[in-house]
Amino acid sequence: MNQNTRSFLALTKASMKMYYRNKGAIIFSLLIPVALLSIFGFLSKGGGNSIKISLTNHGTSEVSKQFAEKLKSIRAFKVVELTEEEADIELGKGMLDLEVIVPENFGAIENGKPGSSSIRTKFNNAKPQSGQIANLVIIEMVSDIDRKLTDSPAVLDVKSEGVTTNNLGYFDFILPGILSMTIMQLGIFGVAFSFVALKASGALRRIQATPVHPIYFVFAQASVRLLVTLAVASVLIVFGTYLFNFHMMGNYFNFAIICVVGILIFLGIGFAIAGWAKDETQVAPVANLIQLPMLLLSGIFFPRDGFPSWLKSITDYFPLTYVSHALRKIANEGLTLVDLPVDLIGMGVWLVLVYVLAVSVFRWE
Amino acid sequence: MPAILEVSNLTKTYDNDVHAVKGISFSVNRGEVFGILGPNGAGKTTTLEMIEGLRPISSGEVILDGIKTAEQPYQVKQRIGIQLQASAFFQNLKLTELLEMFANLYGSTVNPVELLAEVGLSDKAGALVKNLSGGQKQRFSIATTLVNKPVMVFLDEPTTGLDPQARRNLWQLIAQIKNRGTTVILTTHYMEEAKFLCDRVAIMDDGKIVALDTPEELIKQLLGRGFKPHVEVPPATLEDVFIDLTGKTLRD
Repeated sequence: MNQNTRSFLALTKASMKMYYRNKGAIIFSLLIPVALLSIFGFLSKGGGNSIKISLTNHGTSEVSKQFAEKLKSIRAFKVVELTEEEADIELGKGMLDLEVIVPENFGAIENGKPGSSSIRTKFNNAKPQSGQIANLVIIEMVSDIDRKLTDSPAVLDVKSEGVTTNNLGYFDFILPGILSMTIMQLGIFGVAFSFVALKASGALRRIQATPVHPIYFVFAQASVRLLVTLAVASVLIVFGTYLFNFHMMGNYFNFAIICVVGILIFLGIGFAIAGWAKDETQVAPVANLIQLPMLLLSGIFFPRDGFPSWLKSITDYFPLTYVSHALRKIANEGLTLVDLPVDLIGMGVWLVLVYVLAVSVFRWE
Repeated sequence: MPAILEVSNLTKTYDNDVHAVKGISFSVNRGEVFGILGPNGAGKTTTLEMIEGLRPISSGEVILDGIKTAEQPYQVKQRIGIQLQASAFFQNLKLTELLEMFANLYGSTVNPVELLAEVGLSDKAGALVKNLSGGQKQRFSIATTLVNKPVMVFLDEPTTGLDPQARRNLWQLIAQIKNRGTTVILTTHYMEEAKFLCDRVAIMDDGKIVALDTPEELIKQLLGRGFKPHVEVPPATLEDVFIDLTGKTLRD
């Protein structure tokens, strides 16, 4: 075996033992995200799942009646009949996800032929997820009715029935968010504190007194952290799937790739902080300064659409925004890596940036 | 005796124009125990770290076992054992696991139980470093310098902070290492330690070597200059009283 490989394996083994014998670290890495996920899981179970829709039906035809009934029959929707004015107020208060207005001439027969008319919808910009999902379902329903009226074969009937987004709830939105948060915290805090402690205590210096370049120790530590974080991510997904019915619309391979890239970015940030800092007291403020804005502004707990546009433009470039956005698109909408070029480029740039920074600020002692 | 270490005109200058080591030269013979004495800030640790390849050399040359430290620091580290002044190890690892890890870093194999027995820590094989006493920690630290069967061992203030029993116990361990044919270079603040252990000593002050010879010769030279001690040297010291009363048995 090559000596560098042997050194790397010996240091990895030692790092692994250091990690799993540290009960506090295990609690920090596993229990907190699982607890947080459970809180959101139980919160969203309490009826939070249904999408609230108002219906203002001006139509008089049989078709408009059918439409209204069909809308009400969808289990995930909670439909209330309101006038447009009332509905506007409710939407403004955030009590509604979608407003549906059926015009008077909807489905009416004019000159023996079905006349053209359109249903108007308005959705709450602060809750685009549920509003857009409901909107999609309604567009699907209308085109279905349209096809029936114009006697063209209803080939898309099956798709309309199978709109699986029906059950997508807040929990499905929050899981990729909590996952990205966990990846960030394990990367930044987990690494920065433990690594700077090894540096401050002199344990790293002792490695430098051997013929091994200390970069192998950094690799060993990073490998262990990567494995641990992937394990925690798997636990969160299994936990979310079996206990809170998390829906994965995309494929796990794409999901895992984004996770790995995300972990590498945040590990890099962690090593940059630990490499720069002299001791723990320097780590805490810097790590918080970096991670708090991301925690609050990357859209992991709530969408960023409500932000003022300048803030949204800044937060667009946060590494956590890219990671959580990509994970969410894969999990909630079934997109693949090919569909996410912006996120991938963003993550690629951060990956390079973070490691260039880490290397340039690193101090071994 | 051929020299194993040749140091010539070794200098350390820091960016802020501090001259920590000011062009020192000396050589260490194969198989001897060589001591560097001096007050704090004299440049002892800096000198050791430059020889070991841990700190860049500003100017001058170090040749250890035929290898220039400045050119091949990793080759030098491969052949020597280094005990740092503040020895720290990975937490949550047992002594045997740490020794195995260090052996792997040198591409060497070691029987950790035997090595621990050599330094008198047989019963601590499964212990963690944080549960060791000060003397035990130092003995373990010395054990980690032996995993690669080094030609030369560097000990930086190995007995500082130890009680008299632990200190004497460590002297025996260092004598034992010398008896195996390993060259030892150590720094210390304790004159009786240097006298007991060292074949030759260099006295450093303000980055320079002010004297270098065997302890006996240095004392003879001083007396030859007409030195008279200020007080009459008693036939026994307070330390002798302490050891007589508390015994030589190790307390940790």
